[in-house]
Amino acid sequence: MTVPPPGDDAAKKDKDVPPPSYRSLAAPVANPVDKFALLPAFLKVRGLVKEHIDSFNYFITRGIRNIIQANNRIEARNDPNIYLRYTNVHVGTPSVQVDYKVEEITPHFCRLTDRTYSAPIKVDIEYTVGKQHELQFKRNVLIGYMPIMLRSYACILHGKDEAELARLGECPLDPGGYFIVKGTEKVILIQEQLSKNRIIIDTDSKGRVIASVTSSTHEIKSKTVITLDKEKIYLQLNQFTKPIPIIVVMKAMGMESDQEVVQMVGRDPRYGDLLFPSIQECASERIYTQQQALQYMDEKVTYPGAGNQKEGRSKSILRDVFIAHVPVKNGNFRQKCIYTGVMLRRMMDAILNANTFDDKDYVGNKRLELSGQLISLLFEDLFKTMNSQAVELMNKNSDKTRSSPSDFSQLIKHESITSGLERAISTGNWDIKRFRMHRKGVSQVLSRLSYMASLGYMTRITPQFEKTRKTSGPRALQPSQWGMLCPCDTPEGEACGLTKNLALLTHVTTDQEEGPLMNLCKSLGVEDLSLLSGEEIHAPGSFLVMFNGLILGKHRQPQTFANAMRNLRRSGKIGEFVSIFVNEKQHCIHIASDGGRVCRPLIIADKGISRVKEHHMKELRDGVRSFDDFLRDGLIEYLDVNEENNALIALYEHVDQDDVERSSITHIEIEPLSILGVVSGLIPYPHHNQSPRNTYQCAMGKQAMGNIAYNQLFRADSLLYLLVYAQRPLLTTKTIELVGYDKLGAGQNATVAVMGYSGYDIEDAIVMNKSSLDRGFGRCIAMKKYTVIKEYYGEGVSDRIAKPQRDKDGALVKQNMRALDEDGIAAPGQIIRNHDVYVNKQSPKVIDRRGAGAPLMDRDYKDSPAIYKGVDGETTVVDRVMLCSDTNEKLSIKCIIRHTRRPEVGDKFSSRHGQKGVCGTIVQQEDFPFSERGICPDLIMNPHGFPSRMTIGKMIELIGGKAGVSCGRFHYGSAFGEPSGNADKVEDISNTLIKHGFSYNGKDFLYSGILGHPLEAYIFMGPIYYQKLKHMVLDKMHARASGPRVLLTRQPTEGRSRDGGLRLGEMERDCLIAYGASMLIFERLLLSSDPYQVQVCRKCGLLGYYNYKLKTSYCSMCKNGENMAKMRLPYACKLLFQELQSMNVVPRLKLTEG
Amino acid sequence: MDRPAAGSSYQRFPRVRIRELKDDYAKFELRDTDASIANALRRVMIAEVPTVAIDLVEIEVNSSVLNDEFIAHRLGLIPLTSAAAMQMRFSRDCDACDGDGSCEYCSVEFNLSARATDSDQTLEVTSNDLRSADPKVCPVDQARAYQLALSGNDYDPNAERGILIVKLRRGQELRLRAIARKGIGKDHAKWSPAATVTFMYEPDILINEELMDTLTFDEKRSWVESSPTKVFDLSANGKVTVCDAEAYTYDDEVIKKAEAMGKPGLVEINAKEDSFIFTVETTGAITAYELIMNAITVLRQKLDAIGLQDDDGDLGELGAHLGGP
Repeated sequence: MTVPPPGDDAAKKDKDVPPPSYRSLAAPVANPVDKFALLPAFLKVRGLVKEHIDSFNYFITRGIRNIIQANNRIEARNDPNIYLRYTNVHVGTPSVQVDYKVEEITPHFCRLTDRTYSAPIKVDIEYTVGKQHELQFKRNVLIGYMPIMLRSYACILHGKDEAELARLGECPLDPGGYFIVKGTEKVILIQEQLSKNRIIIDTDSKGRVIASVTSSTHEIKSKTVITLDKEKIYLQLNQFTKPIPIIVVMKAMGMESDQEVVQMVGRDPRYGDLLFPSIQECASERIYTQQQALQYMDEKVTYPGAGNQKEGRSKSILRDVFIAHVPVKNGNFRQKCIYTGVMLRRMMDAILNANTFDDKDYVGNKRLELSGQLISLLFEDLFKTMNSQAVELMNKNSDKTRSSPSDFSQLIKHESITSGLERAISTGNWDIKRFRMHRKGVSQVLSRLSYMASLGYMTRITPQFEKTRKTSGPRALQPSQWGMLCPCDTPEGEACGLTKNLALLTHVTTDQEEGPLMNLCKSLGVEDLSLLSGEEIHAPGSFLVMFNGLILGKHRQPQTFANAMRNLRRSGKIGEFVSIFVNEKQHCIHIASDGGRVCRPLIIADKGISRVKEHHMKELRDGVRSFDDFLRDGLIEYLDVNEENNALIALYEHVDQDDVERSSITHIEIEPLSILGVVSGLIPYPHHNQSPRNTYQCAMGKQAMGNIAYNQLFRADSLLYLLVYAQRPLLTTKTIELVGYDKLGAGQNATVAVMGYSGYDIEDAIVMNKSSLDRGFGRCIAMKKYTVIKEYYGEGVSDRIAKPQRDKDGALVKQNMRALDEDGIAAPGQIIRNHDVYVNKQSPKVIDRRGAGAPLMDRDYKDSPAIYKGVDGETTVVDRVMLCSDTNEKLSIKCIIRHTRRPEVGDKFSSRHGQKGVCGTIVQQEDFPFSERGICPDLIMNPHGFPSRMTIGKMIELIGGKAGVSCGRFHYGSAFGEPSGNADKVEDISNTLIKHGFSYNGKDFLYSGILGHPLEAYIFMGPIYYQKLKHMVLDKMHARASGPRVLLTRQPTEGRSRDGGLRLGEMERDCLIAYGASMLIFERLLLSSDPYQVQVCRKCGLLGYYNYKLKTSYCSMCKNGENMAKMRLPYACKLLFQELQSMNVVPRLKLTEG
Repeated sequence: MDRPAAGSSYQRFPRVRIRELKDDYAKFELRDTDASIANALRRVMIAEVPTVAIDLVEIEVNSSVLNDEFIAHRLGLIPLTSAAAMQMRFSRDCDACDGDGSCEYCSVEFNLSARATDSDQTLEVTSNDLRSADPKVCPVDQARAYQLALSGNDYDPNAERGILIVKLRRGQELRLRAIARKGIGKDHAKWSPAATVTFMYEPDILINEELMDTLTFDEKRSWVESSPTKVFDLSANGKVTVCDAEAYTYDDEVIKKAEAMGKPGLVEINAKEDSFIFTVETTGAITAYELIMNAITVLRQKLDAIGLQDDDGDLGELGAHLGGP
C-alpha cells in the first residue's frame, strides 16, 4: 500500500480553495468548519489560569467545609458534655481590621501597602456554657484570615468588567491566580506527583519487578511495595523489618487456602507456576493458619511498641497501613485480598509480557497538585492545631478552677491560622508534621519582569523529586504530553525536562464527589465483588471496574458500560471531567473523578464526522452560544490522558491522514496550535524552527522588556523594566491575540538586514543604527524601589525626617541634599545623582530613654540618611514617593527612582527564535546601507547566525513582516497553522511582496552607505520583532583598581555590589606559570592582594611582633628580640599560621639567606 | 603647496537636472560625476545640514501619564522650521550667552501649557500647542497651517492636527519651557532634516530586439511580467519596450527569466556609473531645495577646510561642523 505524501493533500486542497481575498476571508467558510473561534471562547470561559482559580474556588467553597465537617466537634477531656460544634463555615470578602473597624481592601491597595490580601474565615458554632451545659449559638465567629487568590470567588475582582477593574487599579489582562502576601505577589506553583492509590508495576534499581501503591487517605499515607525476589514474592512495608512472603500476608488476612489465593490471582497455569515458589516458602515456614501467619508477622514488626496490643500489631498494620486506601469494614479483609490479588496478577502479567509495565513518566500516571489542595492541607493542619490548643486550654482551665467551666468559644484563637497561612505562602515552606510533608519553594514570587514571565509562572509545573538525578527518563518528552503539556517550554540546565508548562487548553481537574458516581456504576451493572469468588472475578470477557484506584466490582460488558457512562457525561448528567478509560490489556475499566488529572477539550466526532457544524459556530460568533453550551450539548468533551487512549483523534476533519480509517475517528482536535503553551505561543512559525530554538525563546521571552500591565505605572515593584515604545509584533500568532500579548508587547519591529558589517557583528553581535536609537528604538525605563522605614522605638522615641539644612541665604549646606523637598523626602521629578540623599532621616542617639522625661532635642539625633547609590554620570529621576504605614504601624517611605536608558554597546537583544546577541557597535545612519527606496535597516545581523541554528521561522517572519508592512495587514504565523489558515504560507507572502515591487525572496538591492556603490549581493532585509532583554551593560559593568578589603583576610572584596576586585584565579595563574611570567605572578598574588610584613624569629620559626615604642622586634616565644627577621607574607598566610597555632599545630618558618 | 596632480586633471563638471521639486520632495539627476561625490552629497544631507530642534526642556508641571524624559524625547523629535539654521550659531560656541543656550543667536524658546479641563474628552497635546518665541522657528505643522491661512483658500484649521505629544485626561496638566538649538544629524537624528535621501544608478537597458522577436507573445508577456516592478511594456502588437527604466530595481529577475527561457542575452542591463537619480524628502524643517543647497554649501566648506588644512589648521566655520575647537 502506498501512502501518499502529506503535502499531496494540502496541494490538492489549495487548488480547490481560491487564493484569499478580503471577500473570501470575510465570507463564512462552507467546508471545513472553522473551529478556531472555539479557542477564544474556551479561554473566555476558563481564563488562562483557570486551573489555579478553580482549584482555589473548590477549596473555599467545598474543601474547607469538608475539613470543618470532619473535625466539627471538640470537647473537654474531663467532661465530654462541654463541647463546641462547628455548624457552618464560609470565607468572607477580603478585608482588614483597623481599630476595630472592618475595611474592605482591594488587591492593589495590598500591593502598595505591603498587606496581605486575605478574607476572614467565619464559622457558625454551637457550644455549651456554664455548669448546666446550656447550649448557645454564635454566628460569624472569626477563626482566621485566609489569603485570597485573585479572581477567585472570594476576590472582589471576581466577575468585574474592564471598567470596574480599572477603577480598582487592576489590569484587565492580569490573569489572577496568585496571592498577595505582605505586599508581594506569590504564586503557588503546580506540583507534579505520581498518582495516589494506583498500582504501578515497575522494576527497581536491582532489576526486580515491583508493584507499588502509594495510598493516601485523610487518615494516613503509606507506601506498599510487593517485590519479586528470586522467584518469590514478598511484601515490603516500612513497618516490617524484613520482607514478608506474600502468601503469609494473604493467610494473615484470612485467605488460608492456597487454592483460593491462586484463584484470586487467576487460573492461568502460568500464574500458578510463578506463585509456586512463594507458596512453597510459606509451607516450609509451616504457616497454615491465619493465627500462625499473624504470629510470624508480629516478629517482624519494626517498632514493637506500635499498634494495638490486643489484636496483635501486625493485624492493625495490615488493616491501617497495608494498601491503606482499601477500606476494611467490620474486620473483613476480603477487599484487601482481592486488591492484593489484582496486584499480583498485574505483576505476573508484567513478568510474562514485558510490555505491561507501567511507565512512571506517563502523564496519565501523574497528578498535579494545585494551590487549592496545598492550602487545604495547610488549613487542615492549622485548624486541627487550633482545636487541640483550645482543648488544651480548656483542660488547663478546668484543672485549675473547678467552679465554672469556661466556654470553648472564648478559647478559639484566630491568630494561629492567620499567621500560619501567611507564613507558609510567603516563605514557600510547607512544613506539615501531621502529614509528614516538608516542602520548600512551593510558592514563589510572581515575576513581573514581563507579561509573559508572569503568565509563564502561572502555568509552570515543578517536579517533586530532586533535580540532581541524572536519569533521562523523566526529562524526556513523553508522547502522552501531547496537547497537555507544552513540548517547548522547559528551562535549560538542571531542571530541563523536569519543570514543565501547561499547554494552552489544558485543564486540571478538581475532586468530584465519589458516592453518587459509585452508585451510578452499580446501577449500570457493576457487580459487587464480595459475592463473587476469585474464579468469577477473572472470568474471561468480564472487566474489573476500578474507581479512583479502588476495585468497585466487575462488569460483563465493558464496552457497553463505558459507552453508557460516556453518554451520561456528554449529556451533563455526571461531571464533565470524569474519565472513563477501558484498559484492554489489564482487563479493567478505570473511572476517575479525582483531582489533579490533566485533561483537555476535544470535538466529538461520530465516525469521523465532527459534531460541531457550521451553524454551531455561527451561533458562537453571534454570541448566542458559549463554550459551555458546546459542552452541555455533547459537541465537545474533556478527555484526560488515560481516556485519550480509547480515542482516535484527528487533527483536521477534512484532511485524510495516512491510512487511517475515517470511520474509526472518534474526536477532532480543536486547533493544533493548542499543543503549545502560552509562552511558546508567541513564536511565529515555531514548526519551522529547530526545536531547541523554541525552547531557548521560551526562556528568553520571559526576560524581554516591554509593558507589564495596564497599571504598571501605579505599581510599586522593587524592580521594573519597561520599554518606552513597545510595539505589537507585525507577525502575530493566534496565541498572541488570545493571551493579550498584542496589547502588552515586549519588543519592537526592527528592520533587519542580514549581512556582515564592520566586523563588530561576529559571534551573534548585532550592529545598530544610531539614528534609530535616537528615535527611540530599544529605549527603556528601569524603575527601582527604595524603601525607608521610620523606625519607632517605643515611648515616643522614633526616627524623624528632617528638612534639609540651609544657611542664611537659603543655600543648601550639603550639596547631596539637592533632590530633597522641604519635608526631607526626595521630590518627585527631581534629578537624583549618585550619593544624593533621598530621605533625610535622623535617628535618636540613645534609643533606651526610660526615665528621661525631657523631650528629644535636635542634638539628641544623629543623621542616618538614605543615600542613593547609582551610576556616576547617569541622570536618574525620582519618579514617585509613596508614604504608608506598614503592618507594624510604622511609617514606610517608598521612593521609586526611574532611569531612562538608550541601548548601548553590550546590551542584549533577541529575536523570537532563540537568537540572542549583544549590540556590537552603533553606527551612524549615513554609514548604513540603504535601498533605492530609501529604506535603511535599524539593525544588521550576521548571516552566520542562520546555518547552524536552522531558524527558518525567523526567515519566514522576516518576509511575512515585510509583506505585512507593504500591504497593511498583520500576517499570522501560528504553530502548524498553514492548513487551517492560521499561518500565512510563504507562497502567498511572496506573491504579496511581488505585488508591492519587492523581490519574492525578501532580498533587496542595497547600496553601501560608506562608499555609495552597490553591494555585491542582494541583502535579505525586512522587519523582525526584536526583544530587548533585561541584561544590560549598565547593571553589570565593573572594574576596580584599589578598593575595599575583607576585614578578616585583608584580601580584596568579591563581587560587583561590594566594588570587589577581579580575581586572578587558578586557571589564569596556570597560564602565567606556563608562560613563565614569574614576576607577574608574584605581583598579582602577593603584592596586589594582601601583602603584610611580619617579624619572624629565626630561632624558633614563629611569628613575633614589632614593638613600636622600643622600635625593636620581639619574639614572644623566645622572650627576646635577638634573632628577628623581617619578611613579607600574604596576610592570609599569617592568618593561617595563627589559626593553626590556636589549634595546637605549630607551623615554623625556616629562613635562609636569599 | 604642491599637489601630485601634475599632468592630467581629474576635474569633471557635474550636471544637475531637476525633475521634480516640491516643498518637501525633490527628484533630480546628477550626471558626469562618480559615486563618491553622489554619496558625499547624500551623507551630508542626512548628517550635516544644520536644523533647529528642541534640545533642552524644563518641565514645570507634568501630571500626564508619560514621564518627563519621555515627553522631552518626543519634543525633540518634532521638526521645527529651520530656514534660518545656517545663519544661527551653535550654542556651544556662541559668545553672546556663555554657551548656556538662551540667547537670540543660538536658541529659540518655546512654551507649552496645556491642561485638560473638566470634560470627559481626552485632550491631545500636539505640536500646535508649542508657543515659539521666534516666529521664524516653529513646528512645521504650524508653519504649514499659517501658510495655508495666508493663501486664504479652503483653509480648515482643524485639518492640521499637529504631531501628538501626549494625551491628557481630565485634570492632568503639562507645562514646560523648551529651548531649541541648532545642531546636525550626526549628533542626534532629531537634527537631521532628511526623511529620505537616496540615490540610484541610472540603469541602461538594452533589449536585444532580434532575440526578442524569436519569442511568442505569451513568452514575451511572461517575460515582461517576471519583473516585480513595471519596467517593460508589451504593446498589443507584441513590441516590448522599456517604459520606465528607473523602476528597475537591479533585481536581475528579467535576466534570470531570460536565461530560464533559454534566451540569455535577451536584455542587457548596466548601471551607468556616472549618473545618479536622487530622491530627497525632508522632514519639513527646511525645503528640499534648501536641503540640497545647504548640503552643497556644507560640502564646499568641508572641502575648503581641507584646502586650508596645511596653512594653519584653522578650519573656520567648518571646525564647528567637525566638532573641533
